[in-house]
Amino acid sequence: MSLTRRDLLKGAVAAGAATALSSEAEAREAVPERPEALGMLFDSTLCVGCRACQSACKAANKLPTSNVKAVGGEFDAPDDLNAQTKNVIKVFDAPGGRQYMKQQCMHCADPSCVSVCMMGALHKEGEGKRLLDFEKKNGSGIVIYDKGLCVGCRYCQIGCAFNVPKFEWFDTFPLIVKCELCRHRGDPKKTGPLAVANPACCEACPRGAVIYGKRDDLLAQAKARVAANPKAYNPHIYGEKDGGGTQVLYLTAAGVSFQDIGLPKLEEESMAHFSEKVSHAPYLQGITPVALYAGMAFLIARNKKKEEEGH
Amino acid sequence: MSGHDHPKAIGGKLLAAPMPALLALFGVAAVVMVYRFVTGVGQVSNMTDGYTWGIWEPINVVVFTGIGAGAYGVGLLCYLLNKGKYHGLVRPAVLVGAICYTLGASSIVVALGRYWNAYWLPWIPYWNLSSALLEVAVCVMAYVIVLWIEVVPSVLDGAAESRSPKWSAIGKKYGPMLNKVMPYIIALAILLPTMHQSSLGGLMLIAGPKIHPLWHTALLPTLFLISCLSMGYGAVVVLVNLLRLTWNGKQDQELFAGMSKVNAGLLFAYVVIRLVDIAVHGKLQYLRADFATFLFVFEMALFLAPAIMFFTKAGQRNRGVHFGAAALAIAAGSFYRVDTYLTMYRPVGWTDGKANAAGWDYFPSMGETTVTVGMAAIGIAIFIAVSRLFPVVVVADHKNSNLGRGDARAATSH
Repeated sequence: MSLTRRDLLKGAVAAGAATALSSEAEAREAVPERPEALGMLFDSTLCVGCRACQSACKAANKLPTSNVKAVGGEFDAPDDLNAQTKNVIKVFDAPGGRQYMKQQCMHCADPSCVSVCMMGALHKEGEGKRLLDFEKKNGSGIVIYDKGLCVGCRYCQIGCAFNVPKFEWFDTFPLIVKCELCRHRGDPKKTGPLAVANPACCEACPRGAVIYGKRDDLLAQAKARVAANPKAYNPHIYGEKDGGGTQVLYLTAAGVSFQDIGLPKLEEESMAHFSEKVSHAPYLQGITPVALYAGMAFLIARNKKKEEEGH
Repeated sequence: MSGHDHPKAIGGKLLAAPMPALLALFGVAAVVMVYRFVTGVGQVSNMTDGYTWGIWEPINVVVFTGIGAGAYGVGLLCYLLNKGKYHGLVRPAVLVGAICYTLGASSIVVALGRYWNAYWLPWIPYWNLSSALLEVAVCVMAYVIVLWIEVVPSVLDGAAESRSPKWSAIGKKYGPMLNKVMPYIIALAILLPTMHQSSLGGLMLIAGPKIHPLWHTALLPTLFLISCLSMGYGAVVVLVNLLRLTWNGKQDQELFAGMSKVNAGLLFAYVVIRLVDIAVHGKLQYLRADFATFLFVFEMALFLAPAIMFFTKAGQRNRGVHFGAAALAIAAGSFYRVDTYLTMYRPVGWTDGKANAAGWDYFPSMGETTVTVGMAAIGIAIFIAVSRLFPVVVVADHKNSNLGRGDARAATSH
């Protein structure tokens, strides 16, 4: 007995069906914008690169210095976000002169890190698999970290298009480190966004280059700035739609692209949306595996019986 | 059924060569692993926040389980398409599968930063079903258990034939019992790899612009599923050849002739899907004089060569050519998998097909390599030990092959 053409054909049809299923993606709803979402607006035309935000961030989050240059004293000089740095100012040689750029977690509307995190260690505040002690279902959209559910797989680092989550490589009991919008500095006695969080970087910025607030208000403010001074600004507001929308928004100077200041070019569809719709499609809400299992168990049991009786 | 065409325990000295060398390699790896658990992942590896998975995930998990997919492939042929003649291949393939998957899963524990939290993974309320990695983790854990259950019939057979009346009684009692429920376990053994092997491709969907456009496609799950089968069938051929050369294991070339058509079809299908996919999605523009194109063409050649060899008479009849084709099929799948996970991965993203120069560099450290090599070595050692102690391998009886007649029963029957 050898494999007949018919057997091969059967196999090919099965493989073809599986392929067709996986490409015919079933709709996974795009994540709607949270009306209470909090965020920041960074305007690179205002930033002078003083790094006051960086120092304030380290103080507020009790982070050690990193990449210390010991020339006549200590100087905290991280060259990127790292396990000791949740917020960093980078400088880029852009068309028309230097541009400073502030990098920290973007708090995406539909974050890759949240989509990939196995047990929801990284999750939108109040939307995870369990609530932390301080956590409220307030719709802030802040991406927070629950170290008790993190296995340290680092899939978040693969997923994040901005390379924000960092890992403590040299610790026996390492953590994932990233900006949580100074969630711990929120003051319940205050009203509005300050009741929920209070980013130290925004408090420290002497130029108002980075400001904190509700994402809706910040977006309106960004649009107003561009409208008031169209010659000074790139009309695109990065984060309004990029990567499915982010809660941290960026403005930059006219003639400068956001790629010039180190932000990735992203589609309006979030990567989480793309990956989930492709991955989930063949499962048909869990029907496929159950049906496949039942069908195969039946076939295998029948084949075995036939064989024991027949040959 | 007569005893001689049953799989047989090979016997012999457990510590015969190459066992000491294999154990030594694992010993070195064990030292590195202990050091890693004390000091952290960064001390023994060159992994960075950019190249966060190094080689452990791409090789120890994604390639090892591809090789271990021989169990899945032979299971499909044997039980689902009811080609009983492949029974003789089941036990060795299942044992290799069980070992490869166990090693993949244990390598992950070494790589996990906060491995002690992994005990939550079976707790369903915490499952994030959007995560392809959760799917892989849960599926692989379940599959490792299923694979070892599939190994149990060998052990019970061995016990039944044991001289000790106690063992013999256990084997004779539980062997038939297990045999009854086996179809339901085998169905799982086919469902689970179908799911997690495609999820291993699906894992990289989210990386989007970080993977070169010639590799990143919505068909990643499909391509990973096909490549695990082509690797798995290749691994079975290589294994049987090695068993013939070392222990006079039975090799039925007639049987492989049939299987090679299946593998040729898979390898061709892979190439066609990839080429059509990049053409349809307007990615032909990325084919230019650069490393990415070279690697892409190299991969296509690596898949096409064994496909053509498997289709020719020589490739099916001549043991050497057939072995070569099988080895190439494993290499093809391994390259595809490592390229997708590592070689063509750039943490800062690819812009119009060019890698952004800024960012990280990565080359595996001595420590990482030692762990990968040590894990492979202990896998081979376990295979040798189990085959010596339990009836896994069908040994040639100097006369005609017994595999082709469909009466050499393995895992499920008798």
